[in-house]
Amino acid sequence: MTDLLQATSLAKKFGDHEVIKDVSFSVPRGTVTAIVGPSGSGKTTLLRGLNALERPDSGIVQIADVSVDFAKIRASRRGRLGSADRALLRRYQAHSGMVFQGHNLFPHRTALQNVTEGPIVVQRVPAAEATENARALLAKVGLADHADKFPYQLSGGQQQRVGIARALALEPDLLLFDEPTSALDPELVGEVLDVIRQLAKEGRTMVLVTHEIRFARDVADEVLFIDGGLVVERGRPRDVLDHPKHERTQAFLRRLLEV
Amino acid sequence: MLATLFLLAGVFLAPPAHAATDKPSGLPKTLRVGTEGVYPPFSYYDASDKLTGYDVDYIKEVGKRLGVQVKFVETPWDSMFSALQSKRIDLVANQVTLNPERKAKYDLSSPYISTTGVLVVASDNKSIKSLKDLKGKRAGENITSNWAATAKKNGATVVGVDAMDKAISALTQGRVDAIVNDKLAVKNYLNTKGTKGVKIVATTDDKSESVFAARRGSSYMPAIDKEIRAMRQDGTSQKLYDKYFGAKAAEKSGTSDWQVVKDNAWPMLKATLKTTIPLTVVAFLIGLLIAVLVALMRRSSVLVLSWIARVFISIIRGTPLLVQLVIVFYGLPEIGIKFSTFISAAIALSLNVGGYGAEIVRSAISSVPDGQWEAAETIGMDYRTSLRRVILPQASRIAVPPLGNTLLSLVKDTSLTSMILALDLFHQAQIAAAPTYSYFALYCAAAVYYWVICFILNHFQGRLETRLNRYVVR
Repeated sequence: MTDLLQATSLAKKFGDHEVIKDVSFSVPRGTVTAIVGPSGSGKTTLLRGLNALERPDSGIVQIADVSVDFAKIRASRRGRLGSADRALLRRYQAHSGMVFQGHNLFPHRTALQNVTEGPIVVQRVPAAEATENARALLAKVGLADHADKFPYQLSGGQQQRVGIARALALEPDLLLFDEPTSALDPELVGEVLDVIRQLAKEGRTMVLVTHEIRFARDVADEVLFIDGGLVVERGRPRDVLDHPKHERTQAFLRRLLEV
Repeated sequence: MLATLFLLAGVFLAPPAHAATDKPSGLPKTLRVGTEGVYPPFSYYDASDKLTGYDVDYIKEVGKRLGVQVKFVETPWDSMFSALQSKRIDLVANQVTLNPERKAKYDLSSPYISTTGVLVVASDNKSIKSLKDLKGKRAGENITSNWAATAKKNGATVVGVDAMDKAISALTQGRVDAIVNDKLAVKNYLNTKGTKGVKIVATTDDKSESVFAARRGSSYMPAIDKEIRAMRQDGTSQKLYDKYFGAKAAEKSGTSDWQVVKDNAWPMLKATLKTTIPLTVVAFLIGLLIAVLVALMRRSSVLVLSWIARVFISIIRGTPLLVQLVIVFYGLPEIGIKFSTFISAAIALSLNVGGYGAEIVRSAISSVPDGQWEAAETIGMDYRTSLRRVILPQASRIAVPPLGNTLLSLVKDTSLTSMILALDLFHQAQIAAAPTYSYFALYCAAAVYYWVICFILNHFQGRLETRLNRYVVR
């Protein structure tokens, strides 16, 4: 199976704090990779790095046919990028869709408008076509009847599912999930996980940061355990999660199971 | 941004003041004459809303004899000589009293009327009987007038009062102890409003002579002086004098305040529709545009831009609007940039709205969560699209209430443009008040107009807020 994503030697500092030290991994097309680890381990920063929302200081990421060498992307002293760099990052970002922890839906647009916004405004898809497509996506995440509601009229789980539909609407090769259920009430977690599970079944390539160990075991093809900005352990879920080799992984899982 | 403004400004630049086709007399074809229009009986609007008065009729007659067209430009007294220097007018016909300072600074005609000053005090005042008694007392005067100088010379402290009725009110209310003013003007007032509460106790020794004033080096005066002489000889001067100061002029029927307000309701509404409202609309729209641009510059990572924005905001918010108006209208012509009254007022008010609005817009943009920028970025939007589609629509919800305040302030601030000769609602009230001295009633009427406009705007603001709030939890 060919790799859709290949990340090599990613590193990121915030001031003097090295959040990501040296992380390399790859994601084969059609597989699901779960990133787990204690809070502060750098997993969210890593995921945001894959989308360049938080640009790594160095390292190379190739997604599909676009490769970015982050060491070469240098902002000017004023924090501005050159137009060539900006264009490259835009092409790079177009390959992935992001689902945020806090959904970040556009509050001033209805569920349907949230989903059609990208296709119509960015991809210039004709409105009728984009709307039809968006309705299908909302139906897919179980929200056909909620298309014309504003985000505030939806529950947290419904909002997150609109967020997933919004990411899907741009037909990205890769879907990134940043702790998609950790801001939700427990009884709403299931409906979001069901949608993600469904997407996994369809063969979507996904990378997700999650605290739901059981879910990770269920859907992931590979698990990365990250701590201190490094990949401590990686492998099939049943190896990493059920028979962790590394002491830090064991300690983390023990803590989680104690709760 | 500023460059763009200046470019825009350039488009509206007024054409050069005169064509070079001066009359052989040295006078321009069209003589622009500055006059207050609120100084009866010399310069005021009569009941049929026509500019009239002794000075107005006099200079019109001079113009007719010289074959030049006289065009009156209403100008508040305190701005009169600024207007002359900045070439907005060519001549002042507004009871300019002859004195050495003026003689040194301006071209003056020979006197066309002479009068004495009178000393007015409250009827129960027993201590002030002559000018000498003014020492240490407060005199209510138009501060740039010759009478103020007379009062000062006699040891009085001058308290600035800009109109006769205010001076008289200040006198009867005990805010000032005396008034020194033109005998004719005082008599006219007392003829109109009655002598209750005040009395004339003395006349000044020296007679005061009124002259027309022009910029130095104008070369108008020989021709004008010749006509003044002729008018004195053929009796025209006397006829005009009798018309405005004779026995007949004294028996004016006093109109009630209510009648005055009724008579002026329509002219005031006209001024509102023709000046106050258009000015508000134009200044607010351009001001909003400036506000958004400056707010974005202020947020910019480019240091130069953010500093320009800071300086702009600081200057606009740190200086009085009145000063800004005066700089645009009287200051810029000094460096060769001249706009009409409306354009000047629109520029100054737009910049003012822009300065205040910028901070409102900036804080509104900052209040939109970062996650919104990120979500926009992940669906492929660039900075501009993010702003237009995601950030500004949400920021507008936050910004509307404070911007509403700015708009209401703007409505009322347009009244300041009467300082730069705009014929707005407030100026109309002043004009109407002058011949009747019904200031209080007319200003109250003007206040009602402003209030109604603000009330209506407030109503629409409420509806807009409801609309913008439709997507948030109530």
